[in-house]
This record gives sequence, C-alpha cells and structure tokens, in this order.
Amino acid sequence: MILAVVRRGRKYRLSAPIAVGPKTEPGHDSVGPIHSPSFARLGTAAGFLLTSLPLAIFWFAVLAAPMLLGVFLAAVWVVAIGLILAVLSWTGRPQRQTFARGLALISTPLTLLSVHGAQAERRRIARSLGYQVSSPYRRVPRGSTLDRANARAEDPAFWRDLAYLLLLVAVGALEFASVVAALVFFLGTITLPAWLFVAFPEGAPLWQEVRIDTLPEALTVAVVALPVSVLFGYLLIIGLSQAHVVLGRALLGPSRRARLAERVEELTESRSRALAATLAERRRIERDLHDGAQQRLVSLAMELGMAREKMATDPDTARELLEEAHVEAKRALADIRDLVQGIHPALLSDRGLDAAISALASRSPLPVEVDVELDGRPSEVVETTAYFVVAESLANVAKHSGASEARVTVWRVPEDWLLVVEVVDDGRGGADPEVGTGLTGLADRLAALDGRLFVESPAGGPTHVRAELPLDAPGVGIR
Amino acid sequence: MRDAQTSNGPLRVVIAEDSSLLREGLARLLGDAGLDVVAKVGDGTALISAAERHSPDIAVVDVRMPPGYRDEGLKAAIEIRRRVPDLTVLVLSQYVEERYGAELLESGAAGVGYLLKDRVADVPDFVAAVRDVASGGTVLDPEVVSQLLSRRRRDQRLASLTPREREVLSLMAEGRSNHAIARALYVTRGAVEKHVKNIFGKLGLAQTDDDHRRVLAVLTYLRG
Repeated sequence: MILAVVRRGRKYRLSAPIAVGPKTEPGHDSVGPIHSPSFARLGTAAGFLLTSLPLAIFWFAVLAAPMLLGVFLAAVWVVAIGLILAVLSWTGRPQRQTFARGLALISTPLTLLSVHGAQAERRRIARSLGYQVSSPYRRVPRGSTLDRANARAEDPAFWRDLAYLLLLVAVGALEFASVVAALVFFLGTITLPAWLFVAFPEGAPLWQEVRIDTLPEALTVAVVALPVSVLFGYLLIIGLSQAHVVLGRALLGPSRRARLAERVEELTESRSRALAATLAERRRIERDLHDGAQQRLVSLAMELGMAREKMATDPDTARELLEEAHVEAKRALADIRDLVQGIHPALLSDRGLDAAISALASRSPLPVEVDVELDGRPSEVVETTAYFVVAESLANVAKHSGASEARVTVWRVPEDWLLVVEVVDDGRGGADPEVGTGLTGLADRLAALDGRLFVESPAGGPTHVRAELPLDAPGVGIR
Repeated sequence: MRDAQTSNGPLRVVIAEDSSLLREGLARLLGDAGLDVVAKVGDGTALISAAERHSPDIAVVDVRMPPGYRDEGLKAAIEIRRRVPDLTVLVLSQYVEERYGAELLESGAAGVGYLLKDRVADVPDFVAAVRDVASGGTVLDPEVVSQLLSRRRRDQRLASLTPREREVLSLMAEGRSNHAIARALYVTRGAVEKHVKNIFGKLGLAQTDDDHRRVLAVLTYLRG
C-alpha cells in the first residue's frame, strides 16, 4: 500500500509503510472518484458508458449456452428426483443434500464464467471511473470438484454476479443510447445554422409567430444552445457513471450481510486485542509500582524504623538515617508522579491535546516541533489514544532512533472524519513493530477504535509513524 | 508591591487543600514556622469566600480540588487575585505544567508562586518560598523553568549561553537572588554578577538590580 499525504504544500510519500495490526480495508475504498470536472475524465467516462453495451452482449452470448443448458438440466434433475421421491418415498436430509449438490454441479459452468465477467467489470469500473469494488467471494474450500461446486453455488456473490451481467444488457443499452443522444444533441447544436436552412428554407418556427429566418438569428440560437448541450452532456455522463458505480457496488461488491460478517470478525478480533492491551497495561503498572515506589517505601519504612531505634543511643546515626529516609521519600514521590502521569496526564483532560503534546515535547530530550491543528476537542477516547501514540513514539525516538530532532503533527481530515497523528524523526530507522510491545500495543489500542497505525522505518531512516483515528464512530467525534 | 514585613504581625495564611491529611500537615508545618493559619478550606469556592473574609497575606492552594478534581484550585487562585488584588498566591500541584504556570503569571507575576507539591518535604526551602511570595516575589518550580528553557531550546541567543550561564539563568527564573545563586552553585557573588551581566547582554535584556523585575524580564523572555 502506498500512502501519499498532501498537506499544506508539503508532500510526504511513504514508500512502504507497514500497517500494524489487522489488515482491514477501510470502510469506503475510493481511489479517485470523478468529482472534479475534467474533460479527460469525462472522455474516459463516456468511453466506459459506450462500451457497456458491446461487453454486455458479449457476456450474454458467452453465458447464454450454459444458462440454457443449466435450466434444461435442472428441470430434468428436478423431474428425475421428483419421480424417485414419488416412487420410493425417498426423503431425508442426505437425499435432499444430493439433490442440492446435483443442482450445484449443473450450475458450475455458469458460475465459473460469470466470475470472469464480473471480475472484468470490477476492473473496468476501477480503471475508468476510479472506484474500487472489492471482491465479495467467500473462500472456496479445498476438496472434490463436487464440494467446490457446492460451495460456489451456495455463495450468493456468484448469483449476484450473474444478475449484474444480465442486467448489464439493459443498462448498457440505456447508457449507449443516452451517450449517443448527448453527442447528437451536441453536434446538432454546433451545426445548427447549417441544417436549419437545409431543413427549413422558409425559416424554422421557434415559438408561435417567431421564426428563425436569418443567419444571425440562427447563430444566436446556436450560441445559446451550445452551453446547454455541453452541460446536458456533462451531467448525463457523470450521472450515468455514478449510477453505474452504485449498481456495481450493489451487485458486484460484498453484500450487506457479507460486510457485516466481515465486520463482526474484525470486531471480535479487535475486542480481544483491546482486552489484551488493557491486561498488558495493568501488568506494566503493577510492575512499575512494585519495582519503583513500593521498594522505595519499604526502604523508607526500614530507615525510619532504624532511626527510631538509634534515636536514644546514637542520635548522629539516627539523623543520618532520617536524612536518607527523607531523600528516599522524595524519590518515591517522583516515581509515583511519573507513573501517574504515564497512566493519564492531567493536562490532557484539562487543556486538551495541544497543551499535553507540547508538554510531552518539552520533556523530550531532543527538540520536538509540535503542530496541532484542531477546532474543538475530540472525545476523550480519541484524545487519549492520540496522546499515547505521540508519547510512545517520542519515547521510541528518544530511546532507539538516534535522531537529532522530531516533528509531531496532528490534524483533522473533515471529509474522511479522521484525526491524523504523525510523528517523524530524522533518525536511523529500522523500527520493527514486531519487536517489542510498544507499537503493537498502540495498534491494539487503535484497533479498538477502528483506527489504524502505519509505521515506515527503513534501515537508515527516517522513521515515520502515522495513526488514523476515526471520528465518526458512535460515542467518538468532536465534543 | 506589598511588603508584608511592615504589618508587624506574623504572615496570615489561608490553606486550600482537599486532602485533610495534607491540609492539617501544611497548617502544622506553617504554624510551626511562625505563620498564622487563619483558615483551612477544601475547595475553590470556599477559598474565594475565605480569602474575601479574612484578607490574608497569602493563600496556599492545591490545583486539584473538588468538585471536578481538575484545575479548580488554579481557577480559584486566578479568581481571588482578580478580586483581592493585594493577595499573593502560592499554587501547589502534584505535577507542574508550564501551561498552568503561564496562566497563573498572566494574572500578574508579582506575589505568585507555583511549586511541585513534593517541595513541601524540604521544609526550610518551602517556608522561604511562602515568605518570598508573600512579600511580592515570584517563585517558579525548577521543573517549570526547565520546561520553559527546553521550549526555547533552539533559540539562537539562548544557544549562545555557556552551560554555567544557563544554570544561572534557570536559578534566576526560579526567583533566586544573586546571593542565593552564588550559594547554590558554590561560587562567589562577584562571579554570579558577572554571569548575570553576560546573560542580560546576550539575551538583549535591560539590566536591573531589582530582583523581582529581573525575574520578570527573564520569564518574559522565556515565555516569549
């Protein structure tokens, strides 16, 4: 996957960022929809609409034979089984399965061919209209030809492919006729003055008594009609291509059911990852408390106890011990302060991301440039997750990268409902999310929010961490 | 600027801290040091009314207090400084953030202190800080100063300071006098004066003998 981000004139191109965590497709996967009026795109779209009909006829011709054969064989099969049923009272589950498998086998040539047609159509839509339509097929299991045929026949995607290809004949005809009509209208408009006089030597009737009988009048009409015909053609072509995309997505893309199934799988996984991340976090806190503050407090209590013992007999030693205990107590305070700060920074809830990230940056041992551009505050979950992405990344920069400076950028992409966090350094790179728990822990936290983490860190550097957090999930978003 | 010493009696203190353990501890500590604790309160609203009723010399305020346990203390501190202009405030916090320090200083830098709560453990230093703030000084926690310094790290003029001069600058920003700086760094007072002169020269600040105004100049520069 190649990521290119254009932001205020600067362009970062990520050659091969590693998506950490589950490899899920984004919900809407457009690569470059036709929303900007460009004549090259208009031409491509018109070409697309004109070729729909010939392609539809081709696929219809290819599919007609297996379809007819299938219908015929299916009828024979139904009749045969029906007879057997009637004669032998042959019922029960295995028998019904045999019946279904027979039908599946009969439909195999049809499904195999329509897959090819549908794949070609998906590619055509992506290439000409710039919309990706993802493949909806279930995985075909290994096994006998019969098993595979059965699996295919049970996958609704194949039948929806077939429906699309058959429907394409009608849709293609409509598209072809419309584009031709638009072209004729356009060409007719520019040649209006010429054919006006050929067809109406007496002058063309325009409206009741008004007649066009001079060249200037004809030219005026042509000039007025020209933009109308251009606009008409433009809207027609754009509208039809969009409609075709909708049709393609509905029939060639994953069904609502398939999407939901995939989503459930994804959610189940991210839920358990989030849970694991929480447990890991608890273990870390336990360990930090145990190794840090708890040890210091034990030693503090010990020193105080010893001081009390020595108080009467050896006041000098007692004073020394008290001195040490005092130092120990202050260290314990500092330990706990760091730990508490790491669990949840108070400044984040009080003053938001900009202040909290700036404070992080000012504590970093190397210079960190911070640029946070947000209007309003994201919800607490998003804010906290974004904060920890920065905290973890800056800690990594300081510990491993050997960088001399780093930059943190946070901004919102309103059209995609995303909050983007980027941390870039000028270090030696080579960060591997598989090694160590920091980055994978972050990815897990992000996954729980449907966010994603990209890490690009080629050997020799620099390291580029990018996190995308959706703002449109329920309970998330801008406060 | 207020000079508390002229009012003859001991410094009158209001303590605002929601943890009763710490509240009583602070009261005892300050009482033992010869200050007069006139009121002890547990939240921001009570602090404002206590400050208006008792008009103390100084309020010692915890940042995090009920009801929200966020920055109620800071907000109350800024509010009482607005309402009772002569009142000085020392804000204590479990963590210090340059941002909070800046907000506090915006309400006027004279008679303001912002310290990490841990500093209470060093009793003489803490009491000195309370007296310093009460007499119109500015006391900032070294943590805040280091945050300020690191924020201006790439400043060309700041980069031109020698390590020793940077040390002196941090101590100046914390509100220490030349004498105190000399003691802290184990150098003569003359040496400190020389460093201070160099620092003011390199940063382009106007020289002044007034400790307080000197702190302000440094803070303004660092925050700028």
